[in-house]
Amino acid sequence: MGVRLNVSNIYKYYNGKPLFENCSCSFDRSGVYILMGPNGSGKSTFLRICALLENPDRGEINYFDGNRALPKDINLMRRITLLFPEVGVFNTTVFKNVAYGLKIRGFKNNKIKEKVEEALQFVGLLHKKEQNALTLSTGETKRMGIARALVLEPEVLFLDEPTASVDWKNTEIIESIIIQIKQRLNSIIIIATHDKEFAMATGDFLLYIRDGRLY
Amino acid sequence: MKKFLGILFIILIFASMAFSAEKTILISTTTSVENSGLLSYILPHFEKKTGIKVYVVARGTGAAIEMGKRGDADLVFVHAKELELEALKQGYFINRHDVCYNDFIVVGPKNDPAGIKGLKRASEAFKKIANSGSLFVSRADKSGTHMKELKLWEFAGINPKEQSWYLEAGQGMEKTLRISNEKQAYTLTDRGTWLAVKHRLEDLTLLFEGDPILFNQYGVMAVNPQRHKHVRYKEAMQLINWLISKEGQSLIGSFKDKNGNQLFIPNAK
Amino acid sequence: MSFLLESFKQAVNLILNLDRELLQIIFLSLKVSGTALLLAIVIGVPLGTFVGLKRFVGREVVITILNTFMGLPPVVVGLFLYLMLSRSGPLGFLTLLYTPTAMIIAQIILAFPIVAALTHSAVVRVPPIIKLASKSLGATSFQTTFTVIKEARYGIMAAVIAALGRVMAEVGAILIVGGNIAGYTRVMTTTIAMETDKGNFELAMALGIVLLLISLIINFCMFLIQKKGVREAQQWG
Repeated sequence: MGVRLNVSNIYKYYNGKPLFENCSCSFDRSGVYILMGPNGSGKSTFLRICALLENPDRGEINYFDGNRALPKDINLMRRITLLFPEVGVFNTTVFKNVAYGLKIRGFKNNKIKEKVEEALQFVGLLHKKEQNALTLSTGETKRMGIARALVLEPEVLFLDEPTASVDWKNTEIIESIIIQIKQRLNSIIIIATHDKEFAMATGDFLLYIRDGRLY
Repeated sequence: MKKFLGILFIILIFASMAFSAEKTILISTTTSVENSGLLSYILPHFEKKTGIKVYVVARGTGAAIEMGKRGDADLVFVHAKELELEALKQGYFINRHDVCYNDFIVVGPKNDPAGIKGLKRASEAFKKIANSGSLFVSRADKSGTHMKELKLWEFAGINPKEQSWYLEAGQGMEKTLRISNEKQAYTLTDRGTWLAVKHRLEDLTLLFEGDPILFNQYGVMAVNPQRHKHVRYKEAMQLINWLISKEGQSLIGSFKDKNGNQLFIPNAK
Repeated sequence: MSFLLESFKQAVNLILNLDRELLQIIFLSLKVSGTALLLAIVIGVPLGTFVGLKRFVGREVVITILNTFMGLPPVVVGLFLYLMLSRSGPLGFLTLLYTPTAMIIAQIILAFPIVAALTHSAVVRVPPIIKLASKSLGATSFQTTFTVIKEARYGIMAAVIAALGRVMAEVGAILIVGGNIAGYTRVMTTTIAMETDKGNFELAMALGIVLLLISLIINFCMFLIQKKGVREAQQWG
């Protein structure tokens, strides 16, 4: 298998100041990549640029040995996904939240039901599937977000601070979920986090951003 | 949400059902005629006889004539003979006929502060109202009644504009009467509206009537098809001829308001 | 006072024994306002969403115009439309003056700015993360927009109900372009105006009560929707 994600010579400026300059790296092997760095070092921005949700000021992103990746390439966009720290809950049931990505991909209803219920079972939220998603706790919301990304079986999965403002119990659950995902999906998982213990427990590779450089 | 859309959809289906396609003509008339109920009494007879559906739009006399001039009506039925003749001369209308008349009266407060009761001439009555400084409410809406009122001030040699006792309502007859009632003022009204609403106007009474100058001639005329090619001239003429026919005239004469008063006296020649 | 009470009693009687003519008037009111509202939604929701989500030159101007048009005096709309649709006007060839269609057009002009402006403010209140989340889950830009509209649904429904309230209660514009023709363009509000002129207060009041009941139902729905929206917004926070 060739290079699945290649980041070359990325520049990004924020309010005229450089956030990162000439950052390059490539991801080819499956596994969990941990991205660490101090606050404001640009971890989230880096993930968003990789996930094609934000444009770099210079440089380019390539996926699967392809040409320069563009956000309007919907087929490519549907092979990757990013979970935001705030998740972004739709004002509807937990079930419909998780079904969202499948629905817009045109899956049949019975297939959606099967996949969504399996994913909800996996993150331990099946019993809450008919509840409005806005009523979930922070930890549950994060788990739902993971399920929502997981049903899409992404080849590259970005998780931005999956344990931020989550209690230790939910952190443990999320930890074990990610370890299981790693075994189930043959994907690249890139996680930006502050949490060293969490990083140790889940990570295979470590990346570090500081002063606009990627190590 | 889905139910809501469903309901809207049903409304749309109803709305898209074609509006009736029968032969129609549009007559513009004055509010006083429409409000008297005369047309809804006589027109069904015409519609039954000819199969032509008559739509009635009621406006002030000025606006009713204007509608005809712009080609928005097929014929007009109004009571402002001078305006009618002028529009006729300008070529907007053709085939004008007198149809019927009723009369104007002056009503005012029961104690008659200007002392107009028993006078013979309308100009005299108007002079007295002005000289006594009693309040007078004008329609001030360019209606036939308003035109008549202005004429009467002219005959009395008085310019009421800007006088403190002269109130310009800019309203229909019924509202003007109500204002007069509240303000204890004199006003000029057509007899029909007065008869219809006087039981609600406890502080007003009929004070002056009978001067031939107060007669209110109603006329009908067709919009000139040479000016507006689209008008239904043929059907409009059918209605005009019917209104001045024996049948039309006797129906107008037999029309009574809900208190049993005859409101219009037919006088087609 | 006794006169008021007497009128009210007779009005209730008239409602209880709804005759065909009265029913026809009520039905036409609903038909005209309902159709106008539906078309106002078709125009207003996409317009409000577009203005809310896209950044383009002149956007502020469009928003200001929409907000101003929300308060358009109906008589002005009526007069403008009358001059357009009159046989001597530029659109006279359409022969729409004094038809229910003309009334519908007038009410669309009155309703769509409300729908658009309130949709706009509902859409901009949707947190930006919704748009990003939807994109990252693989939605096309059309699907993303649709998702944002769906999230703004309570605000949009309130907009629709506010617009319905405006068109149902409106008399100035439809009187001018509809002409209040008996059995053809006569609706509740124009009948009320006319019957009041005639001194037929009982009938006017009967229709007034029906209109008030409809408004009451509409406003009650609005209250329920907003309450639900607020509750969900609180759960969000």
